[in-house]
Amino acid sequence: MITRRRLLITSAAAAAAATMASRAFAAAPPLPKKDTYKVGFAQTESNNPWRLAQTQSMQDEAAKRGWQLIYTDAAGSAAKQVADVNSMIAQQVDLIFLAPREEVPLIPAIMAAKGANIPVILLDRNVAQDLAKPGEDYVTFIGSNFIEEGQRIAEYLVAMGGDKKTIIELEGTVGSSPANDRKKGFDDVIAQHPDYTIVASQSGDFARDKGRQVAETLLQAHPDANVIYAHNDEMAIGAIAALEAAGRTAGRSDCLVFSIDGGKEIVQLVVDGKVEAVVECNPRFGPKAFDTAVAYANGETIPPVIINPDEMYTPDNAAELLPSAY
Amino acid sequence: MTVNAPGRRLDSFDVLEFLARYGTLIALGLLIVFNIVFTRNFATLQTLNVNLTQVCTIVIVATGMTLVIATGGIDLSVGSIMAISGALAPLIFLSPVFGDNIALGVAIAMVAAISAATLCGLFNGWLVAQFRIQPIVATLVLFIAGRGIAQAMTNSNLQVFRVPEFQWIGLGRPFGLPVQVLLMVTLVVVTAWLLRRSRFGRSVLATGGNERAAELAGIAVKRTKLAVYAISGFCAGIAGLVVIAINSASDANLVGLGMELDAIAAVAVGGTLLVGGRATIMGTLTGALTIQLVRYTLLANGVPDAAAMIVKAAIIAVAVWLQQQRRV
Repeated sequence: MITRRRLLITSAAAAAAATMASRAFAAAPPLPKKDTYKVGFAQTESNNPWRLAQTQSMQDEAAKRGWQLIYTDAAGSAAKQVADVNSMIAQQVDLIFLAPREEVPLIPAIMAAKGANIPVILLDRNVAQDLAKPGEDYVTFIGSNFIEEGQRIAEYLVAMGGDKKTIIELEGTVGSSPANDRKKGFDDVIAQHPDYTIVASQSGDFARDKGRQVAETLLQAHPDANVIYAHNDEMAIGAIAALEAAGRTAGRSDCLVFSIDGGKEIVQLVVDGKVEAVVECNPRFGPKAFDTAVAYANGETIPPVIINPDEMYTPDNAAELLPSAY
Repeated sequence: MTVNAPGRRLDSFDVLEFLARYGTLIALGLLIVFNIVFTRNFATLQTLNVNLTQVCTIVIVATGMTLVIATGGIDLSVGSIMAISGALAPLIFLSPVFGDNIALGVAIAMVAAISAATLCGLFNGWLVAQFRIQPIVATLVLFIAGRGIAQAMTNSNLQVFRVPEFQWIGLGRPFGLPVQVLLMVTLVVVTAWLLRRSRFGRSVLATGGNERAAELAGIAVKRTKLAVYAISGFCAGIAGLVVIAINSASDANLVGLGMELDAIAAVAVGGTLLVGGRATIMGTLTGALTIQLVRYTLLANGVPDAAAMIVKAAIIAVAVWLQQQRRV
């Protein structure tokens, strides 16, 4: 008689053995050459314009190439995302595109796909590099370089010259990798220019209302500030509301505002002269993701990290590029 | 009172009694003095403006919450009701039905949003009064479902708008005073009067003090409960409109998030008994201002928000402890 406990133990052992066996392979699972593929896209959440644009781009690209795309939305839960990947494995997809919600909890999903001999390509967020390796456990990571996004804003500000040198920084959610990296990239460049000072740096949680309230307070405590650097669009828009409430002006005449992400609303504000510059965090992963899959099937060497090119919107090009902003 | 009776060792008790009654006010005074000395650019009208406009929505919601708590209840659904009101209004005034007549659209949107919020409150009251469900469970229903409803209405999308006719409620400055501050003051004064002077106020306190006795004394306990939850919903509805008006955007995922806890904290720090029977609207106002000023002080002096949360919790703990002393 097979008891439930024995069944559990046996299946756990089998799973462990499978994992061990798969670890023995040096390379990630191969992708056979075919005309069309059935691929999965495990999205992490879809409650903001950026995620919606990313999903749209993946679906458009699949439709264009005539591939079948199995789409799941983990609704912000790492546990559901692991289950989503497992269901894709059960449906025997050829390849899985995964936008991992968190760095460690998604490792079992990657290992399960590897055990089932299905290659995985990571999008926009990476996983813990000591637990899973590109080229072995997954094919590659495609995404933006958050540190560089922060650097580009700082370099633009320094290159502008002028007397705008007193900076308030609105950070993203404490501990999230975009917030950490966008701060590091910006602060490191500013540190090389001692005449520029960051007088205050506080978290606005990537949210408009919180960003506005924090900006109101910081502007009141530091009325001499004339640059606001926000880690995303929503906080930058909140900061503009805070400036206007304080009787000040967003723009070159008074206080410069910078942002990262580059949705339509903020690019319009660049056109209007209220925002000085925005580094786009490109959500259109479709073409690059599918190209990479094809290259992998053709046996080409895939680099461990592929960086999406990010646009920078400035007063010179914003009006022209506005239609293409997400 | 035997406060001044000679030979009684009540001195320490008196101090606690005094602190329990005026502690929050004293804390607020001390904070202001601290800021005048240490925070740059504090003693200005603009600082007052920033703090009053930021604390507005909390005070508006906490006013309704004070009435609910005075009956011995609690309303966890206020944040979600704010989200419903905030999601509904733009759906109406942005709809093309109204064409050029934006004023009509805005009027209908505001009435509809506040009515919907009041109905949500009535639903809470109905569950509590009719089915005798514990308030914390009854309002948990809308706490969870309400945000879902708001997200479903908007498909979880951000609604962005520039409609000055509507945003007047959050950005208008008649006589140089922000509209939302005038709204807050009006609500606070009217509710304080209701609670102290009206028969309704008596019913509220009697219901919270001893429900059975109130019922035997001929007070319409059920109707009183329906009314306080409806008022709480009404206040949350207004607060929802104010928040989206200031931000020129409505995000069903974020509007009113965590508001129930901010409001309850303001009520508790203000000195209203959480078991009901005693309530002070002015205390709630002082409590909300104190919490707001703590946050302002820490932010303006470069202390991270995480630390502000810890200080906020400490203030609540001290306030509740003082209340306990008073009941001895």
